[in-house]
Amino acid sequence: MSAELAIRDLEKVFSTGKPAVDGVSFTIAKGEIVVLLGPSGCGKTTTLRCVAGLEHPTAGEISLDGDLVSAPAKGILTPPRARNIGMVFQSYAVWPHMTVRQNVTYPLRTRGMTRAAMTAAVAEALDLVDLAAYADRPVTQLSGGQMQRVALARSMVYAPRLLLLDEPLSNLDAQLRLRLRDDLRRIIKRTGLTALYVTHDQQEAVVLGDRIGVMQDGKLRQMATPADLYNRPADQFVAEFTGAASMLPCRLVRREGEFGSVEMADGRRVEAWMPGAPAIGAAMVLAIRPENALLGAAGGPNCFTARVTSLRYQGTQTIYELDALGGRIEALELGTAARHAEGAEVSLTLPPALTWAYASLP
Amino acid sequence: MSIATTSPRLFSRAWSALLLVILAFLIIYPTGMLLLGALTDANPVIDGFANMQLSLGNFATVLANPTVHAALGNSLLACTGGTLLAVVIGLFFAWIVVRTDTPMRGFIAATGMLPLFVPPLVAGVAWAILGSPKTGLLNTVLASMGIGFRFNLYSLSGIIFVFGMYYAPYVYMFTASALRNMDPSLEEAAEISGASAFRTMFTITFPLILPAIVSGMLLSFIVMLGIYGVPATLGAPANIPVLTTYIFQLTSWSPPRYGTAASVAMILMVVTGALVVIQQKVLSGRSYVTVAGKAFRPRTLRLGPWRWFTFALAVIYLFVVVLLPTAALLIGAFRKFLFIRNLEALFDAKQYSWLHFDRLFSNPATIDSIVNTMEVGVATALIGGVLAFAVGYTVARTQAPWRRAIDVIATVPVAIPGLVIGVAYLWAWIGLPGGFYGTIWILALAFVARFLPDTVKVLTSSLMQIHRELEEAAWLCGRGTLSTIATITLPLARPGVIAAMTLLFVLSIRELGSSLFLYSSQTMVMAVHLLGYYEGGNFSVTAAFSLVQMVLLAVLIGLTNLATRSSAPSDAVGSVGRAG
Repeated sequence: MSAELAIRDLEKVFSTGKPAVDGVSFTIAKGEIVVLLGPSGCGKTTTLRCVAGLEHPTAGEISLDGDLVSAPAKGILTPPRARNIGMVFQSYAVWPHMTVRQNVTYPLRTRGMTRAAMTAAVAEALDLVDLAAYADRPVTQLSGGQMQRVALARSMVYAPRLLLLDEPLSNLDAQLRLRLRDDLRRIIKRTGLTALYVTHDQQEAVVLGDRIGVMQDGKLRQMATPADLYNRPADQFVAEFTGAASMLPCRLVRREGEFGSVEMADGRRVEAWMPGAPAIGAAMVLAIRPENALLGAAGGPNCFTARVTSLRYQGTQTIYELDALGGRIEALELGTAARHAEGAEVSLTLPPALTWAYASLP
Repeated sequence: MSIATTSPRLFSRAWSALLLVILAFLIIYPTGMLLLGALTDANPVIDGFANMQLSLGNFATVLANPTVHAALGNSLLACTGGTLLAVVIGLFFAWIVVRTDTPMRGFIAATGMLPLFVPPLVAGVAWAILGSPKTGLLNTVLASMGIGFRFNLYSLSGIIFVFGMYYAPYVYMFTASALRNMDPSLEEAAEISGASAFRTMFTITFPLILPAIVSGMLLSFIVMLGIYGVPATLGAPANIPVLTTYIFQLTSWSPPRYGTAASVAMILMVVTGALVVIQQKVLSGRSYVTVAGKAFRPRTLRLGPWRWFTFALAVIYLFVVVLLPTAALLIGAFRKFLFIRNLEALFDAKQYSWLHFDRLFSNPATIDSIVNTMEVGVATALIGGVLAFAVGYTVARTQAPWRRAIDVIATVPVAIPGLVIGVAYLWAWIGLPGGFYGTIWILALAFVARFLPDTVKVLTSSLMQIHRELEEAAWLCGRGTLSTIATITLPLARPGVIAAMTLLFVLSIRELGSSLFLYSSQTMVMAVHLLGYYEGGNFSVTAAFSLVQMVLLAVLIGLTNLATRSSAPSDAVGSVGRAG
């Protein structure tokens, strides 16, 4: 049932002129969950709506299991109703003039099913989202979380080829969001549906996605597994967006494959991982996540002295702001007691695999 | 301490009591007298309460009277037909303006509202000129083109047509805003689920805006039920009585059958009241419009070449309701003889002159009626504006006792058609000493009562926009309630107050139904004078006078818009059409 989604060179230009989606290409395997992550206005929702057929792309191709559904160059534009896609909207979009059962039955009515088959499919879908007991309630009597599950059941009841989810949890309160986040992955995986999920919440992306695509300004910056995204950010934007708080200017002095040495503003050299093939002498930026900057000498390369300029105590963790390598570096330590005071001299170790250098943006 | 707490309470009790007395005097007393009148043969105020004999005799007579049956039947038929037509047109326009890419949507939306400003009597006059079976301009054109078909607007279907065309903007206002406020993903979800655009419209869109459709429908029905001008111009020549025209007929017989008229008026009021209650229920009930405090970008449907088709329909509508009647009035007013032999004669410049305007203004009654109307208008605006502000402020902003009762009584006139208010005031004041009857004040007070709900609504909505804390800040600065109102509330609510007063002025200029019963030879107003010309059979002068009225109204409404650009204009627009 579920299909492979392939997007090639997708482009969507609104009348304002600036492309909202600019040459995005990726493929989602059967049964895989891919999350598009990015700040608001990055084009992730427009991409999703192009796949749904609710927006008309201006260039590129979208295909489901090889069937072209959007290909403006060839004049192909399958309307949403003929794509056999399920979608969960940010506002739930459950129909307030219907009961839970009527909402979930609605998509089946145009699919030429027998009454018995419809009843069975609806019962199964409601079971899956744990709403069987609420089937005959008007949806307006449900809580936000329940409405979202009605929307989910409605989008899956006809076993669509692809499930699209547009920030489905953003209208829920924080606690409910955490619970539903885990439920969502479990439910989608159990049905084996291919899913494309859009969010601006990194935690949600990491928990839900088999792979995550980071978008910025209409471009797909990186698409990788959650672990790769966090350990091998492809560029400075991705590193910064996923949480690398410290950015220091530096210059490349030596490179061997993926690793190399950069010279910092204070003349010290740091071993770092670097994507692409920057030239020797190029201006670069060193990016470090606070979680990867270790306080204390671990024995090995990249061990420096630093001074604590200020600290932010956060209860279960402390963030130190350090004066080191001719700039400012943030380091995070877990624990309820802060180990260092303001002004203290400490050792700082930067593991080379988790210290990244990127060519400076022009 | 005890003085400080008791004296404001005493004051607010006295204030509420004063308001209640005024409202009782303006609304409850006349309505009660109408009821008494319906139940007796004599007027107790004139003949003394001792001679009063309560009986249901009038109702029995009325209910057994075949003319009443015919009038009730015609009223219901005309209003049902008119409402259905208005819903079809209004809903269609709401859809093309809000949801499609039809060219010049903004222009269509703005021009489409114009019929609301045309007094029903003027609309009736214009369509009589266009569609009278023998001499109607449309029929002249058809004849000269050799087409055998003839329009006959002097018929029930003529009334239905004019009702439907002129009250479609009501339905439009309700449904367009519902469509605009609807979360577009509700429809997208249906489309993704596999529903066609057509199926989505009928299973999702229309059911979701059903409350708006129903309340727009009921409101149009209520308004049509109370209209006198259209059935008087189009129904009377063909002898088609409706409730409003029949009530007037009863009072103009000699001797006048006031008791019977009062009971027919009660029937009209009960039907209207029931509809108002239903409308309130629908409005307060299941409103599906998701108010998420979020601005939705309504989905626009790309119609492709069909957008020229929807555009053409819009142009036809505007042609029929705006251009044709205006042209008819212009031709009627400026042509020396309204009889037109053929199409060529229509464009004969020698046939046109200011003759009818000269005749109109050489009649001293014309100038008198204009002066009277202006006087009544100013009196209504001032008295009504002050009263409505007092009521609106007391209900919306204070903890004064009995404010719920004040609110309810001030809303009652919504359910009383203008004509019924006219009968009630006539009945209530005709015998009272003090000589109110026959002065412009009785007209002004009747108008104040009749339009109190609309005025209060406009004022309340502008009061609601003033944050409570602005007033509280003034109290903390040491100001009392009255001083706060004078220095903070009134200046901030000024656009609303101006809008409400201008609205009252405009409404009282148009008002015909209640004026019919309350004017005297000294206090003839424009609407009544216009009707007199029409019934006297002089179409040309009627047309000229209609144009004068339209120009006056246009100037006034234009000035209002200039004065109150920011304040609740939609409420005011909605109310303008209610008069008639």
